[in-house]
Amino acid sequence: MSAPLLEVRGLSGGYDPIQIFSQIDLTLSAGESIGFFGPNGHGKSTLMKTISGVLAPWTGEIVLEGQRLNRAGERGSRRWRNFNYDVVTRRRMDPKKVARAGLIHVPEGSLLFPEMTVAETMDVAPVAAAGRGKSADRLAQVHDLFPRLRERLDSKIRYLSGGERQMVAIACGLLGDPKLMILDEPTLGLSPKLRIELCQAIASIKAAGVPLILIDQDVNFLTELIDRLYLFDHGRISGVLEKADIPSHEKLMAMLFGEPAA
Amino acid sequence: MSFESFLFVLTGGVVLGALYALMAAGLAVVWTTLGIFNFSHGAFVALGAYIGWQVGNVDGFALGHVLGLSATVLGMFALGILFQQMFIRPFERKENIVAATVITTLAGATVLQNGMLLIWGPRSKQISGIGEGSLNIGPLAFSWNEVALIVLVAFILGAVGWFLSRTRTGRSMRAVSQNRQAAELMGLNVPLLYALAFGLSAAMAGVAGYFVGSVRFINPTMGADPLMKALIVVIFGGIARFTSPIYAALIVGLVESFTTFYLGLYWAPAVLFAMMMIVLTIKPAGLFGTHQRTL
Repeated sequence: MSAPLLEVRGLSGGYDPIQIFSQIDLTLSAGESIGFFGPNGHGKSTLMKTISGVLAPWTGEIVLEGQRLNRAGERGSRRWRNFNYDVVTRRRMDPKKVARAGLIHVPEGSLLFPEMTVAETMDVAPVAAAGRGKSADRLAQVHDLFPRLRERLDSKIRYLSGGERQMVAIACGLLGDPKLMILDEPTLGLSPKLRIELCQAIASIKAAGVPLILIDQDVNFLTELIDRLYLFDHGRISGVLEKADIPSHEKLMAMLFGEPAA
Repeated sequence: MSFESFLFVLTGGVVLGALYALMAAGLAVVWTTLGIFNFSHGAFVALGAYIGWQVGNVDGFALGHVLGLSATVLGMFALGILFQQMFIRPFERKENIVAATVITTLAGATVLQNGMLLIWGPRSKQISGIGEGSLNIGPLAFSWNEVALIVLVAFILGAVGWFLSRTRTGRSMRAVSQNRQAAELMGLNVPLLYALAFGLSAAMAGVAGYFVGSVRFINPTMGADPLMKALIVVIFGGIARFTSPIYAALIVGLVESFTTFYLGLYWAPAVLFAMMMIVLTIKPAGLFGTHQRTL
């Protein structure tokens, strides 16, 4: 059996000194996509930021295609962590290395680079794919997926609408030639029309063979795209549902929070 | 004031403005990318002048202006990167980086100044002028030194502007300055880009030093006054884009030149500071600034 695409073992982390999540285990086989569902503020985005190296993991391992992405062992004692010399206390994880290994994270509501144009941003984005080629193919794919962006190439990012900005963020992720893509609430706060457009684009990305870790508040949307749903609650995985067992949005909400009062 | 003296003061202002523009743009590159103010920029000016003098001047290796200036650019680029690695890199991810680097860059400036004193001694030096005579454009007269300064500053600023907006490395530098986290998630090499930005800034300071060294005497603290003016330019002008310090530098250069002529040399800083305070009261982000600190 080939090595799993992503393996997370015993991962815990948070914003020092507050621990947000602990003992997370998950395995993603090649070609699989998974979803995360749970209440806001319970640590889903923090978990994703830790997997992509923006936040240093406290304990545990993150392994992509057999390649370990974080440094071994638990993080050091508080005294050593505060030692004001990063050259000595090395980073436990490097987001650049994670992105270049092919794990691309599109964070929630990313502002990207407000003073750069769409074209300039998309020119910088393929750096994560350095050495893995195929950037011309990816650019064509991006233009097919988001025809709207072709008209906005010379606009600065800060003049784009929230939906367009999200499209640029996902487009940049794709230009990095991802082996696995984390999309954190990609449709948050969008108008229904833009939401549909973006959902279709995400479905196309999945269809093109890019596995996804998808966080969203709409179970029906998640169910269409994923093979397994992780329920996330109070910093822990509280349940795992296979695709066939995922109930409707209403039923799942009732399952998590109880029946609404009559 | 006669028309001739008006023109004389005007050309002096333009030349000063060009010099400040080069220094302020160098400061701005570091301020916008790393988010810190580099107090050793003045020492870089002096060091650039010393390197240029050593390589180019007849009392040094006597290799001429072209090689002297090239050595200044390359040497300062390398030294800038080394300086950044020693004095800034260790604090790069700390929340108190701004406070920490005020001290470390000041400390670095002291180290550099005393190093220069140790290597080149206390005797002031001067780089010989780039050419004799002057260029007359209508009633305006520029010495060849001034012409070289204006042309080279325009070329350097144009080239840096082109680099930042047209090349992938330059765009990456701007990306890092605007959103470090997004840049890291895209796989950009943030520490390398920071080092490049610092090297670029130091090289620009070095070129400024070469020209200051050809009109004034070179000593380890010669950069202090231009640094103060460049600081005024950056704060007074604000930084909305790479070009804003350039306009502000011209204004500061002209105001200094006219104040010196009309009111006397010692009034120039007072007038500049007063002008800065008035502008900041009305427009806190600076004359051309926006709320965003970006390249």
